[in-house]
Amino acid sequence: MTAPRDAWTGAREIVPLALGVAIYGLAFGLLAAQAGFGGLQVGVMGGIVFAGGSQIIASQQLVAGAGAVAAVVAGLALNLRLLLVTASIREVYAGRPWWQIALGAHMTTDENWALMLAQRAKGRHAGYWYLVGGGLCLLLVWCLATVTGVLFARAIPEPKALGMDFAFTAAFIAIARSLWKGRRDKLPWLTAVAVVAAAIKLGGVAPSWALILGGVAGAGLAGVVHDD
Amino acid sequence: MTDTWLVIVALAAGTFAIRLSGILIGQQIPKDGAWARGLRALPGCLIVSLVAVSVLSGGVREWGAGLVAVAVAIVSRNVPVTMAAGIAAIWLLRQVGN
Repeated sequence: MTAPRDAWTGAREIVPLALGVAIYGLAFGLLAAQAGFGGLQVGVMGGIVFAGGSQIIASQQLVAGAGAVAAVVAGLALNLRLLLVTASIREVYAGRPWWQIALGAHMTTDENWALMLAQRAKGRHAGYWYLVGGGLCLLLVWCLATVTGVLFARAIPEPKALGMDFAFTAAFIAIARSLWKGRRDKLPWLTAVAVVAAAIKLGGVAPSWALILGGVAGAGLAGVVHDD
Repeated sequence: MTDTWLVIVALAAGTFAIRLSGILIGQQIPKDGAWARGLRALPGCLIVSLVAVSVLSGGVREWGAGLVAVAVAIVSRNVPVTMAAGIAAIWLLRQVGN
């Protein structure tokens, strides 16, 4: 049985990223308190939505008085990228029973997905249980931090004042470094960056959509160009 | 507040549907050819786009800290080390700027 061991490894190796998640969870609790959420609601939300960025955006919409429908639409627009995330690791879920597919789907986030890919790129074994173990650790930290944040809303500092808003950007830069497989990645990656830059700076496209456009444009180019 | 519970349940159901759809769509894509090549390249392109969105949404300080993080990542190939360097760089740049 390697499943428990893999899950434990995944949970342990996600800890640096989980620390960033904890700071964001505290900050989200502060926002959720302003949006009128109670401690129980924030705990349930963290457990069943489990997509921090979308929870933050939905709450911001509620605080701004945009209404429930606008809050849900904004949150789901940000989460559309998760469709690409789970599709890109299809082999991880392949051939598993339905409950493992459902569990794996819910446990997949940007952080444990990216970390699993980085470990694989280094030649280490990291599969389904590594992903799920990392996800469980993140879920626990996220729920604890967000509930703490909503209960002690006044005592929480802004992540930006600590430079913590940059934690995930830096983590993803390091993970991209591990995924770099040489020259054939150059054109797709440059295309992704160029499309994101054009969408945000020239097109005025919202970040949630710019991200999806960049990812799909780069991957599409890699698909069309024959070089393997 | 029933409205709040509605937002929570709708966001949860929609998000789970998105995650599951990705898996189901992924299984339908052929194992080789252009679509498979694109899907293999997707993680790297998506992560690079994530970084580009967050750096480009900021200003000169975010650009600077991004460059520091890239340099540290190339040398160290280590996630926690790069995180620490990036956080330190953005914190310092913001102290200087204010």
